[in-house]
Amino acid sequence: MTTLWDTSGSEVVKALSAERRAAGALAFGLALTLVVVVDEQNVAAAEGAATLASSAHPCRLLIVVRRQIDAPHPRLDAEVSIGGRLGPGEAVVMRMSGRLALHAESVVLPLLAPDAPVVTWWHDEPPTRIAYDPLGVFADRRVTDVALAPDPLAALYQRAADFAPGDTDLAWTRLSPWRTLLAAAFDAVSERPDTAVVTAGRANPSAQLFAGWLRNRLAVPVTIEEGSGRGTISAVTLRFGADRLAVTRTDSRSATISRSGFPDRVLPLAERGLGDLLAEELRRLDDDVVFAEALGTWSSLPNLASRSEHREHIWHDPMTAQAHGSSDVTVGAGASTGGSAVGSGSGAGETEAAGGGA
Amino acid sequence: MASTVSSTNPLRDPRDRRLPRLPDASALVVFGATGDLSRKKLIPAVYDLANRGLLPPGFVLLGFARRDWSDEDFAVFAREAAEKGARTPFREEVWDRLAGSVRFLRGAFDDDAAFDRLASLLEELDKSHGIGGNAAFYLSIPPSAFPVVLKQMQRTGLASSPDAPGWRRVVIEKPFGHDLGSARELNALVDDVFTPSGVYRIDHYLGKETVQNLFALRFANTLFEPIWNSQFVDSVQITMAEDVGIGTRAGFYDETGAARDVLQNHLLQLLALTAMEEPVSFGAETIRTEKLKVLRAVSLPTDLDRYAVRGQYEQGWLAGERVRGYLDEESIPADSRTETFAAVRFGVETRRWAGVPFYLRTGKRLPRRVTEISIVFKKAPHLPFDETDTAELGNNQLVIRVQPDEGVTLKFGSKVPGSAMEVRDVAMDFLFGEAFTEALPEAYERLILDVLLGDATLFPNNAEVEESWRIIDPLEEHWATTTPHRYRAGTWGPAAADEMLAADGRRWRRP
Repeated sequence: MTTLWDTSGSEVVKALSAERRAAGALAFGLALTLVVVVDEQNVAAAEGAATLASSAHPCRLLIVVRRQIDAPHPRLDAEVSIGGRLGPGEAVVMRMSGRLALHAESVVLPLLAPDAPVVTWWHDEPPTRIAYDPLGVFADRRVTDVALAPDPLAALYQRAADFAPGDTDLAWTRLSPWRTLLAAAFDAVSERPDTAVVTAGRANPSAQLFAGWLRNRLAVPVTIEEGSGRGTISAVTLRFGADRLAVTRTDSRSATISRSGFPDRVLPLAERGLGDLLAEELRRLDDDVVFAEALGTWSSLPNLASRSEHREHIWHDPMTAQAHGSSDVTVGAGASTGGSAVGSGSGAGETEAAGGGA
Repeated sequence: MASTVSSTNPLRDPRDRRLPRLPDASALVVFGATGDLSRKKLIPAVYDLANRGLLPPGFVLLGFARRDWSDEDFAVFAREAAEKGARTPFREEVWDRLAGSVRFLRGAFDDDAAFDRLASLLEELDKSHGIGGNAAFYLSIPPSAFPVVLKQMQRTGLASSPDAPGWRRVVIEKPFGHDLGSARELNALVDDVFTPSGVYRIDHYLGKETVQNLFALRFANTLFEPIWNSQFVDSVQITMAEDVGIGTRAGFYDETGAARDVLQNHLLQLLALTAMEEPVSFGAETIRTEKLKVLRAVSLPTDLDRYAVRGQYEQGWLAGERVRGYLDEESIPADSRTETFAAVRFGVETRRWAGVPFYLRTGKRLPRRVTEISIVFKKAPHLPFDETDTAELGNNQLVIRVQPDEGVTLKFGSKVPGSAMEVRDVAMDFLFGEAFTEALPEAYERLILDVLLGDATLFPNNAEVEESWRIIDPLEEHWATTTPHRYRAGTWGPAAADEMLAADGRRWRRP
């Protein structure tokens, strides 16, 4: 491991190739570069998750910690390691302060593994527009987590407004086990349901996406009912006239599938950690059309999947933005056009989202 | 609510790759459930599938064996097997859920009443677990018991009932007969009781990740296919070496020998996958068609004395321990002429492969356990260097390592750093463990899942099995009157195998 204090980008590149040579026979079959954008207070969680995910999908791990943008002098500190505390692969943790934090790409670009796909993950409040962050612009896949935003539904709506193919959100990833069980339970059913109910906290972005997905796939009204739990999804119920098919979480590890006229079945439904979620994201590097459709149906914004996947970097200085007020927030124009469109949605949550976005 | 299986689940979408495909609700019935294979491979694989959430909501594991056990006894046995053999961490709650759908049925194979009970138990399970009549029967039993079990299944309508809903499949393990005649008999019997498309012949090598990767390597890249022919390929070596002896299989092994045990199935399948033409699509039938074409084109050399070598291990040292010779193994007759090593040169009589020898070898008590396919390329037609510069340059090689360390190695010449021009072989290694370490599923895990899903891509069909015997039978006939060469345990086989390649101006690659 090499630690560099108050260093430059070229020193980091040199340190990485020195570490690579020292690792000798360990020539890595790199499949991708994972760029993690994280706040100082979330570094430990992000490092843990990225280490776990990178042991499943060996990658070059570049962790960018931006701090103190208003510091008078730009400064870069870096830690370079191979096969160290950050898993078996190559890892660089970079702390950037001062104006350098706004130009993180100048350090990161030369460190990307040649011609391998880049995944950028914000373990942080997602950027208002991904085009504001150059670390998102050059990425092939961009992973956000609206659950970390102060208003998750407004953030989810903003994701839809700002969407480009290749974007995904961990709120969607958290849903995969639920969708798997429901789809498996539905395999044996030939009827179309009349209605569907997701039991969860209304402010839960995963529940909103669940509703969006079900409406998109089944073309039935979907409502979100407040559950008793901690706001996480506790059940999903499809109604067929008098019959019902439900998947209900029983504990943190399993769920029950109950269907009228059939005995109950208990199946695994594990609550997954951040590392597992990230590993699922790294499994596929192409865009997720099904997510785009679910998000589009939820937000009532049309044709998300057919947008251009290319983004141009938009220069955005949070310090001037602060000085001039939050005019940027409405740049995601979807918020204003979306307000009326979203009203046609079935869940109460969407209205909240529009309110928060406007 | 009707319980028909709909193929058009609106929640499924081929583009939605986050959702794994789960099999239909079904029962996996294991005959010989208390045996070694079941304990070491099948039950752990079922547990791993459950742990990964890949078993359907209505899944039942039903053990059938002679022991006087209750459901609970079998559950305890299965739990131990899963704890010991599973690849994924053992988790109590996963097991508890699985244990709720473990059943045991006591019975002998000639016991009519037991099979009647089995039939009615499956009907019960239909009500209690909603298996919808779907059942896969895994025959983890000696081949001699196949006919009686199959007849029982036919009698009780277990095998296929045209009126009843759901599918019935049968899984059989090698050996698929011991020569062409017996294989035909067995195939006729199985295909008659089940439908040919309901029969899954397990060759666990085909469940290995690298073997499937051979398709990707060959047909998804432009790099390799243009040179995958006799114009560029000098020869192909396929090796399957084991460091173990015959273990507890003495009786079976002495009747069978290395050629029938390994060459006839695993190695010829690997040959077929290496040499086959591109299938028109990636489906079970199209792939089998191409594999069968290759197997039909496989030819034997005329000089079998030289090009079909078999050996038998003598005592020696292996991995720091003294090991017994084959003839000193327990229950092996002192005058046994069964081979524990076989090396054969085959040809593939197609335009693509004309003149390219395929050297296949397998053996027990070789220095290490390794299976690999090595494509040896021709030397460059002209080398613009001094002869001394390239003295250490060998043939380019592409090696597909099936096990262990699944991956691919490319061997090519590179300049030795320094002022002199000197070219030497270097190896570029691709390890699955590095680029994609999603912990590799066990072969049985993958294959059992495929059986339940009804995907026959990785299973050889009856025609392939018969064609393989067509290739092996003349060898066995030739060997019937000969005595195998001796080789010391812990060496790479008898000298005659090396001479066989030396006669062609080649040598075996040391795996």
